[in-house]
Amino acid sequence: MQVTFKVYRKDPEKDGKTGRSNYSLELPEDATVMDGLLQIRDEMDSTLAFRGCCGRGYCGECMVRVNGSSRLTCTAKVPDYIKRGPEISLDPLRNVPVIKDLVFDWDAFMWNKVKAVKPWLEPADSPEGGATLRTDSEMKDLRKVMSCYYCGMCDEGCTVLPVDFDFLGPAALTKAYRLAFDPRNQDSRQQVKIVEKPKGIWDCVHCYEADEHCPRGIEPTKRIVALRDKAFNLGISHQAVARHHASFAASVKGSGWLDEGRLAIESEGLTNIKGLMKLLPTATKALARGKAPIPYMHSKRPEAEKIQKIFEKAEQEEK
Amino acid sequence: MKYAFYPGCVSRGGCPELYPSAVKVAEKLAIELEELKSVGCTGAGVLPQNISDPINARTFAKAEQLGLPIMTICSTCTGVMAQANYRLKEDPNYREKVNKEFLADEGLEYKGTTEVKHLLWVLFEDYGIERLQPLIQRPLKGLKVSPFYGCYLRRPPEAITPTKELNRRKAYLDELIGILGADMADISGKGKCCGFPILSANEENSLAMVAKHTGESKEKGADFMVTPCPLCHLNLDGNQPRAEKQTGQEIDLPILHLPQFVGLALGFKPDEMSLKRHIVSTSEVESKVNILS
Amino acid sequence: MQEFDVLVIGGGAAGLRAAIAAKNAGANVGLISKIHPLRTNSAIAQGGLNAPLAKDDSPENFAEDTLLAGDHLCDVDVVRTFTQQAAQEIYWLERSGVPFNRDKDGRLDQRRFGSNRCARSCYADDRTGFIVLQVLHEQFQRAQIPSFEEWYVTSLIVEEGTGNGAIALSLKGGKLEVFSARSVILATGGFTRLYLPSTASFGTTGDGQALAYGAGAKLMDMELVQFHPTVFPKKQGLLITEAVLAEGAMLVDQKGAPILDPKGMPRHQICLAIQGAMQNGSGAVSLDLKPIGKEKLRAYFPQTQELLRTVAGLDATKDLVPVGPAAHRPMGGIETNGSGETSLAGFFAVGECACNGLNGAGRLAGNTLSEAVVFGKVVGEAAARRAALGGKMTPPAAKLADEEKRLAAVTAGGSANDTLAKLHGELGSAMNEHVGLLRSEKGLQQALERIENLKARYAKLRVKNPSMVYNYELISYLELGSMLTLAKVVASAALARTETRGAHRRSDFAQRNDKEWTSHSLVSLRSGSSQLEKKPVANG
Repeated sequence: MQVTFKVYRKDPEKDGKTGRSNYSLELPEDATVMDGLLQIRDEMDSTLAFRGCCGRGYCGECMVRVNGSSRLTCTAKVPDYIKRGPEISLDPLRNVPVIKDLVFDWDAFMWNKVKAVKPWLEPADSPEGGATLRTDSEMKDLRKVMSCYYCGMCDEGCTVLPVDFDFLGPAALTKAYRLAFDPRNQDSRQQVKIVEKPKGIWDCVHCYEADEHCPRGIEPTKRIVALRDKAFNLGISHQAVARHHASFAASVKGSGWLDEGRLAIESEGLTNIKGLMKLLPTATKALARGKAPIPYMHSKRPEAEKIQKIFEKAEQEEK
Repeated sequence: MKYAFYPGCVSRGGCPELYPSAVKVAEKLAIELEELKSVGCTGAGVLPQNISDPINARTFAKAEQLGLPIMTICSTCTGVMAQANYRLKEDPNYREKVNKEFLADEGLEYKGTTEVKHLLWVLFEDYGIERLQPLIQRPLKGLKVSPFYGCYLRRPPEAITPTKELNRRKAYLDELIGILGADMADISGKGKCCGFPILSANEENSLAMVAKHTGESKEKGADFMVTPCPLCHLNLDGNQPRAEKQTGQEIDLPILHLPQFVGLALGFKPDEMSLKRHIVSTSEVESKVNILS
Repeated sequence: MQEFDVLVIGGGAAGLRAAIAAKNAGANVGLISKIHPLRTNSAIAQGGLNAPLAKDDSPENFAEDTLLAGDHLCDVDVVRTFTQQAAQEIYWLERSGVPFNRDKDGRLDQRRFGSNRCARSCYADDRTGFIVLQVLHEQFQRAQIPSFEEWYVTSLIVEEGTGNGAIALSLKGGKLEVFSARSVILATGGFTRLYLPSTASFGTTGDGQALAYGAGAKLMDMELVQFHPTVFPKKQGLLITEAVLAEGAMLVDQKGAPILDPKGMPRHQICLAIQGAMQNGSGAVSLDLKPIGKEKLRAYFPQTQELLRTVAGLDATKDLVPVGPAAHRPMGGIETNGSGETSLAGFFAVGECACNGLNGAGRLAGNTLSEAVVFGKVVGEAAARRAALGGKMTPPAAKLADEEKRLAAVTAGGSANDTLAKLHGELGSAMNEHVGLLRSEKGLQQALERIENLKARYAKLRVKNPSMVYNYELISYLELGSMLTLAKVVASAALARTETRGAHRRSDFAQRNDKEWTSHSLVSLRSGSSQLEKKPVANG
């Protein structure tokens, strides 16, 4: 079948000049996008740079955007694409520094971030004692998380990375989860302490884009939420977030619903004059337009005491 | 059509323009609302699940008692409740545990039959667009509008778009813009996060997101942005001036709530929709709308 | 220039394990890999790793099974070392974080694989290789070993008959650099891509073996290549783990009738049976995975199901999967002793690129990953010991300049009639046809002729892309060169071995000839031409 590949180009040896090259190909009926790229490099333009490794969906290396959506080229079947038109666009992933053509910087995008969470176990005992005893259900979840083949789709779909490239990102944070929740890790607090620093778990907006993007159902967002919960339980938590959470909970426990005025103030901190001053312009405007709920002058919902009871019971159970 | 109405906290707190406009629009559409008054905040993704699931189960049980599906006007309420509902429905043992430990005292029991829908979904799935169209008295011709869903209304898939047909939920707002007569100024961030959840943790990133989405919308020539989530509204509208200051750009993009948007097309006057309450001035929108009358 | 005590070339399971061991033994270690460690061929190993953990098992039983599978071509001492140390390595892996599957008592669960007499293979779903590789990489990063990823080694440095390091090209930077080291460990993987189709990643092109051979090292048992019986043959070749057979999958002909009972059969027998069935008119042979049951398929073979769906477009719960034997991994490689020392002082080899006498003429299923970690440790420690003896030599600057010139010459001019893929395709079919499951003198002669022809055409090719940054054409060119060199070695060794033993089947010499051939084959370069010797098997 006939198809035209329109491929993004970037030449680092010509000051990073960018462009697009069009290649018209004749491909067999069962060809993948990777087959097409290999044919181009072999027969038409050997300067085209792209990665390819296992060729069969195992290793995660060949990610590019095919017609705007990220996927592995080795499992992207050309007939599926030309159903919608004879041209296929190929671009590097979003949120990623590009080195040359479709070859992007995996280190900056992901590997360095994974490294930053100290991605290893401190084994507890020496191997002379044989293997530790574990239930398979404990190990099963770890196997699920470790089926991550670092394809980068979660990082590519992330909402935070476009505004803050230094955010660790779902892939690295999922790796931190794997270590923080491995029962054989002597010091699982270590990973939590690392990821609760700036650019870590508190910077995640838990928008679930990562869960939606992950091709293996690993649910990176849920893992990040679990790390946050673990951080709270360990008493390690971002101060402003802790204040925010405490204020929210106090509000709902006391009245059944949220007192936003109180929340805004207590999140900054009652003695944080600088932070409170920051709120002043918006607060003034809001007041003037009748939009500011007066803090602490908040009415209780009917049956608020029932909500309070739920809090008390849940808190008791936690103990 | 009748619904157990769950207005949420912000629609009467930080965004008090939302509640009355929603109620007015529902009335015009002949959607009967019975407000759930003695229920608690959904938790908004801030309260941990072991507390928010029982609170939400209680809300579901009360709606079940009325025999009514729940209608919300906030993406966050919808998303949080949909996730809780998914857990309670998926796992009968879990539901039983929550019932026994938290609801039984009050004589309540959640049987797992309540549906939760945002007004946006109600319009497409229950009410029907064919029924809406004849009621449009003021098609918003010539107005360019950007959609902003609020991420809680789009993910996670098992709670929000569990079937192939329900995948359509990701396009309702886009479609609605056209149905109400306006043109869409599409933005890449329409399904992304507005930054509200990280205001405490990382204000810089939060405001950067506001600037990114509203900035893109302005660049695409939008007259305003519409959102079904008042928490998004708080950030996109309430914090827009701070975002402008941080990034040094001028944005000045009015943000409308979904019911206000629908209400204007139904023929309500801008004042009736409480547009003057917004932080970012809506006066230009009001003038354009008034001309259309 | 980079300087290390021990330089490891290759970032797969064996290389990582060796690097960790060398570092723990006190050496200053550096690692070079042409791709990121988590993308190496180890990542696609599926089934399991063997260790004699069960009550009714023992290192002796394990050794016996290994020797049997090797069809009397294994070196007994090496087998003994291996079977005695395997358990410790598994325990080390477990405590380092491998989430192996467990039985109901919480102990490591084991599967029965191939011709193992009992359940002996520890596993992690059907992604054992990948998960073990991840944990090795974790511990590798813990050891803070400098890692040069996406660097391609273009030549080995030999000074006065002793290894002294290597020269490598950075794909990102486009520059060559000298890596000086007292001990160099080659852990570069197999040469399976000589054959098409095959089960290996694109980069499994035998670069380490070719480099070592070119530097004067001996290659051993190169004619012994293991085929895997259940490979979906379209596209690149999708390996379906043999563990499915142990769990009840059936091999059936076109009518759906089972062609054999595969339980307990060694791989080469299953391969021959399938090939036989395909040739004698039963038509295509398929795997029927339905008998495993939906629950078990989902629980035990998630990756298999996923890849069948995304690569082959098949539903394992409904469809038959056409399969055929395909080249899987070589038993042969760079000759080493039990400590990984090659015949070239200063060079060590471990893993799939090496041949230390463990696997003989047929590798026992489930031994490869265990081999990588057991000998990774042994060889890493041996290399560290050698480096500690001191006496480093700095390679002369001229070496780098010469290498730059050599590579520059490759990118000048060239014929336009052939392409790299075309030559590789022809090589792959020639090897598959004539140096595959069943060989004959005539076929092997034809193979050697075709290889000579391909080499002549290769000599006329040049690399058109002049850049040095991410120039995959250059890398493919060099890899094809490695493969052509090794193809000749494999075919000649196959021609010389006039018997049938293990994975080496001759239609013209159908019996095993213990009198003349209880020997390893050794091929090496002397004054520019290859010579073949025999080395008696160390029977212990």
